[in-house]
Amino acid sequence: MSKVILRVEDLRSFFFTRKGVVKAVDGVSFYVCEGETFGLVGESACGKTVTALSILRLLPEPAGQIVGGKIFLDGTNLLELSKEEMRKYRGRMISMILQDPMTSLNPVYTVGDQIAESVRLHQGLQGEKVDEEVISALRLLKIPSPEMIMRNYPFQLSGGMRQRVVGAIAMSCHPRLLIADEPTTALDATIQAQYLTLFKDVQKQTNVAIIFITHDFGVVGNMCQRVGVMYAGKIVETATTREIFKTPKHPYTSALMDSVPRLDQKGDRLYSIKGQPPSLRDLPPGCRFFPRCPVAEDICRQKEPAEVEISEGHFVSCWKVK
Amino acid sequence: MADVLLEGRDLTKHYPVRKGILQRTIGWVRAVDGISFTIERGKTLSLVGESGAGKTTTAKAVLLQEKLTSGTILFEGKDLSHFSPAQLKAEYRPRLGSVQQNPWSSMNPRMKVRNIIAEPLVVNKKQTKQQLQSRISELLEQVGLSAEHAENYPHEFSGGQRQRIAVARAMALNPSLVVLDEPVSALDVSIRAQIMNLLKDLQEQYNLSYLVIAHNLATVRYMSHTVAIMYLGQIVEYGEAEELFERPLHPYTKALISASLLTLPEDEDKGVEKIILRGEMPSPLNPPAGCRFHTRCGEAMPECGQSVPPLRDVGGGHKVACNKA
Amino acid sequence: MATTKVIDWDKVGGGIKRKSIFLEITFILPVAVLFLLVIMAIFAPLLAPYPYDQISMQDRLLPPFFMDGGTTAHLLGTDNIGRDILSRVIYGAQISLSISLIVIAITASIGTVLGILAGYLGGRTDAFLMRVTDISLSFPAILIAILMAVTIGPGYWTVVLAISMLGWAPYARLIRGEALKLRESDFVAQARIIGASPVRIMFRHIFPNVLNPLIVMVTLSVGFVILTEAALSYLGAGIPPPAASWGNMVNDGRTFIDTAWWMSLFPGIVIGLVVLAGNFLGDWLRDKMDPRLRQL
Repeated sequence: MSKVILRVEDLRSFFFTRKGVVKAVDGVSFYVCEGETFGLVGESACGKTVTALSILRLLPEPAGQIVGGKIFLDGTNLLELSKEEMRKYRGRMISMILQDPMTSLNPVYTVGDQIAESVRLHQGLQGEKVDEEVISALRLLKIPSPEMIMRNYPFQLSGGMRQRVVGAIAMSCHPRLLIADEPTTALDATIQAQYLTLFKDVQKQTNVAIIFITHDFGVVGNMCQRVGVMYAGKIVETATTREIFKTPKHPYTSALMDSVPRLDQKGDRLYSIKGQPPSLRDLPPGCRFFPRCPVAEDICRQKEPAEVEISEGHFVSCWKVK
Repeated sequence: MADVLLEGRDLTKHYPVRKGILQRTIGWVRAVDGISFTIERGKTLSLVGESGAGKTTTAKAVLLQEKLTSGTILFEGKDLSHFSPAQLKAEYRPRLGSVQQNPWSSMNPRMKVRNIIAEPLVVNKKQTKQQLQSRISELLEQVGLSAEHAENYPHEFSGGQRQRIAVARAMALNPSLVVLDEPVSALDVSIRAQIMNLLKDLQEQYNLSYLVIAHNLATVRYMSHTVAIMYLGQIVEYGEAEELFERPLHPYTKALISASLLTLPEDEDKGVEKIILRGEMPSPLNPPAGCRFHTRCGEAMPECGQSVPPLRDVGGGHKVACNKA
Repeated sequence: MATTKVIDWDKVGGGIKRKSIFLEITFILPVAVLFLLVIMAIFAPLLAPYPYDQISMQDRLLPPFFMDGGTTAHLLGTDNIGRDILSRVIYGAQISLSISLIVIAITASIGTVLGILAGYLGGRTDAFLMRVTDISLSFPAILIAILMAVTIGPGYWTVVLAISMLGWAPYARLIRGEALKLRESDFVAQARIIGASPVRIMFRHIFPNVLNPLIVMVTLSVGFVILTEAALSYLGAGIPPPAASWGNMVNDGRTFIDTAWWMSLFPGIVIGLVVLAGNFLGDWLRDKMDPRLRQL
């Protein structure tokens, strides 16, 4: 098995607002290996993005705070670094790709300038060396005629091409860990398929570890080796993609899969999960899923279930799973 | 003979592209370029395609929000272009409903739910306060909310609940046809099934016709009876949902289906490969000659760059526009 | 640093609380100031020790009571013809505040109506209305007011009319921008699909949604009106004597500024107070109504 590059232990990130404390991430643990893609799946506001921002230590302060846990990147606890040291880690060791390629690029600079900025900042290169790095980053993302594209402004490129440029910026400093937050959600289906294939290639070439945040199980099946399913600030189930699809154990995981229509099956009626996710300001006691759970029992509403390893690498937090 | 509610014949919408102080027309964006379709009573037609394919423009034309460049829309056999504005308002508009993609922006944040749902009634029909009141309660209950919700403002609801309110508004006038523009794509995965089931129930109960616009093929398969796959303003494949998804003929349809299929790890073991198209959709300002898809098609032949394939019936109403089929 | 980032919960809570109290003060203080001034204007005859136009030549240019030669009979001193400054400041509130109120009512209404029409209808209506607005904005405002004062003679309604003619254009600009955004919104599209008439859409859908910026602008323009009135008085085109407005009092004191500075200072202080109160209130409302800030 390859080397673990990132290990998150019992991470807690809260938002302190006037209306109360929002427990956006409440005890999340997982790890990612070199050359591996780990999927974080869940619905909106389940804490996926806050987890990612916590790893980068980019929560919007002062409202958002990491209140507990450890984040080890290649053996270093990121939460012990000074702000200065952390800034050097960002970009060089970890980068991130955001959902909307239009807003993550600066419209007044050329594509080349934006990649060069990160190259200069993190690699300390000068002159022609910078251009070489820029072109090789564009090549890595299979952007046609990079010498020409680097002189273009973002508005001159299509959505798919822009998202490749964002990928090139993220990869330009050879990070060890890449966090991709719904990078294909804004793209059309055929372009999304191109992008995902492209990224698998990039990973093969660079051996980068990827955390892939998504709400789409289709993307998970395509991209990830292992998955963590998040619900209301916690990871409720972690397993290999294969096991998650074959034998989902947590009632939320299986309900979620049953409620998504499948292209290769004709179903008359979809299973629908009743109700809606709880407010993170006002969580139910006990298991967070019990108000919507089809198999909930008394204990579920009283005590929060602990994480149990039911088979190697398959963790579930549910009273009903032994 | 099928019971046709609405028929579009050879619909075309070209937008002029203007430039300079004199606003000279320098070209035309062919947003919709000669498409035909029929929507049967009580059935669902879905328009599928990527952004820029022309599906939204088509829906807007049906909703009278866009003037067509050419083509006719027949509603219950009557040509809409022969209707006077007063007739349209009295006889066509009230038969339509519409649900938009984003439940966060489709409602006036300053209006109570009561007034949001009542608006189509107030605008189109004279009725007493009591009638209005009881209709609002009825509608709210129909979509799985309760009558008390009428006094709340939209921001007090979750996305799924808001989409239910939007459905209630669309149902207010007892329409025959409801246009659903990406009705679930802005919602959370666990909420989508609730809304799709609701829409199916309402369709059955009221014999509603739906015109669905969507890009998610799995959603489309679940919702539709008939499907039209659009590419660059044209329909490239058209047919019964089952037939089309089981036996896709157009290379674009095949690629779309391949991209949307859930890939399981064992598929990769078996060596099932996804079809990855090259390049991106060209600009509708200057569509390629011949078959519009040939620049990205993996099966293109030399002649595809020259001859435009017509939309041909290959049996059982399954139509495809491809030189190879 | 410890492995766990320790959060001092009290401090976190306290920080947020402090901020909210600060927000409250920036609201309560200006409201209190404006409220007191309005009370002062309404009850001027009861509050003022003297009538605003009572001349007393032997008491002219008395300094405020805390200075040598000052007397408690005239707390803030007297002007060059022996009128009591305190009484005139109190009476001045009537004119200055009522002018503000009327002018704002007129300008906000005109600006909102034109702005919504231009923004929602667009096209030629928009082009025409916006050119008119541009012209109104580019004209030297004071010049027009002086011209009006010369042609129809100075007076209360001349001042109202003059400032109104200048004041509607910024409203129209602001509201047009908002209406333009709203015109493209999904809920307006929905209303059109339903078949709602343009009048209904403008009234039911656009208007309620431009109220927030409108209210902010209203509070901010209290200061504009009072300052413009003062400027007009300064140029002799304002409220004619013997009536007291804060603007013309500042102006009357101009020639005596080295000897009897109190003539201008006290009305000047009230003007400053009202302008500040308006601006604070406007800022507070803007923060309150900003949805991003409102969530916190």
